Amino acid sequence: MRRLALWIVAALAVAAVVHYVTLIQTPGFIMKRVMMKMGEANTIHHQGRVTANSRSVVRPSPDLLYSVCPFDLTNGALHVTAPVPPGTYWSVSIFDDKTNNFFVKNDKQAKGKVDLLLTTPYVDVKRPQGAAEVVAPTPKGVVLFRTLINDEKNFAAIDAVRRKANCTFIRSRAS
Amino acid sequence: MGSPLRFLLKLFAVLIIGTALGLAATWLSVSRLSIGTVSDGPWRTSLLIGSEQSGPYLRANVALHGLFALNRGETMYYTADHDSAGGWLDGNCVYKIEGREPSARWWSITAYGADDYLMANKYGKWSISGETVQLKSDSTFVITASPRKAFSNWLPLTQRRFSLTIRLYNPGAGVVNDPANAMLPTIKRSVCL
Repeated sequence: MRRLALWIVAALAVAAVVHYVTLIQTPGFIMKRVMMKMGEANTIHHQGRVTANSRSVVRPSPDLLYSVCPFDLTNGALHVTAPVPPGTYWSVSIFDDKTNNFFVKNDKQAKGKVDLLLTTPYVDVKRPQGAAEVVAPTPKGVVLFRTLINDEKNFAAIDAVRRKANCTFIRSRAS
Repeated sequence: MGSPLRFLLKLFAVLIIGTALGLAATWLSVSRLSIGTVSDGPWRTSLLIGSEQSGPYLRANVALHGLFALNRGETMYYTADHDSAGGWLDGNCVYKIEGREPSARWWSITAYGADDYLMANKYGKWSISGETVQLKSDSTFVITASPRKAFSNWLPLTQRRFSLTIRLYNPGAGVVNDPANAMLPTIKRSVCL
């Protein structure tokens, strides 16, 4: 009887470890997969309109246009620039490699444009003039631009402006 | 102690059962967004989405069900998989989503399939928003979610299991401060086909 209890405790201990490890690993695992699907790191990808075939990120909004820069700041920093499309909702948000959202700015806060240097404490990069520094908690992650198609009639104009957003990699002097 | 072979078999069984239990526990804890949630009728939202202190359970939940979700001041997401009477949403039925425009700079209601993606339909129609909704003369609206085409404000359903999400971009202060009283629309089931 005591031996059986011991086996049960052992099984529960294994269960607890497996549960904890899989839970902790889930966000990083999902983020890695999503970043791979997005494409090459440190460059911008302007995604097409969301349809039933858009299956890289769950619950996408068909009313938004998404542009993404998966980033890897191991050897440098990312210069993120974008004009803000007028007259509609727009935002730029940045996520670390565990899905934490550590930066967000919308069209009302950005006042016409964003100009950011996304960097880490471990790289030595000359900050482009006028760029505000944003420190990423992890070297990898995703910059995500959302642009609302508030009126189908404005689609072409909105799409043209959001495609002016850019992510440029600046290599570290030290590495 | 028994033979070494029996011991090894038992050890193997413990590892298999333990792993299965551990995976089941993880699956149960993340299969449905259920942490830090408040409800407004059938609509549920998590107050912790986008917040810094969210723990491993919420983190895994958000990664699976709301990846790249923004914080509450920026966007609030309410999801419903039940109607106002408490029944599971069923894609073979006709639903009337009735209410007033929610308090936000911009809002939309989108239908998703069981896999959390948009349901394929030949109309290319997945959402109704503050821009596209047709309001009645008293400023209220009725959206019809159904497998058959509706006259106006139609959300096509092409899968048996589905869910709805309301997005509020830059929600009003009243909603941010009291998310359980966002005055979101009711979801009433009418006929089933």
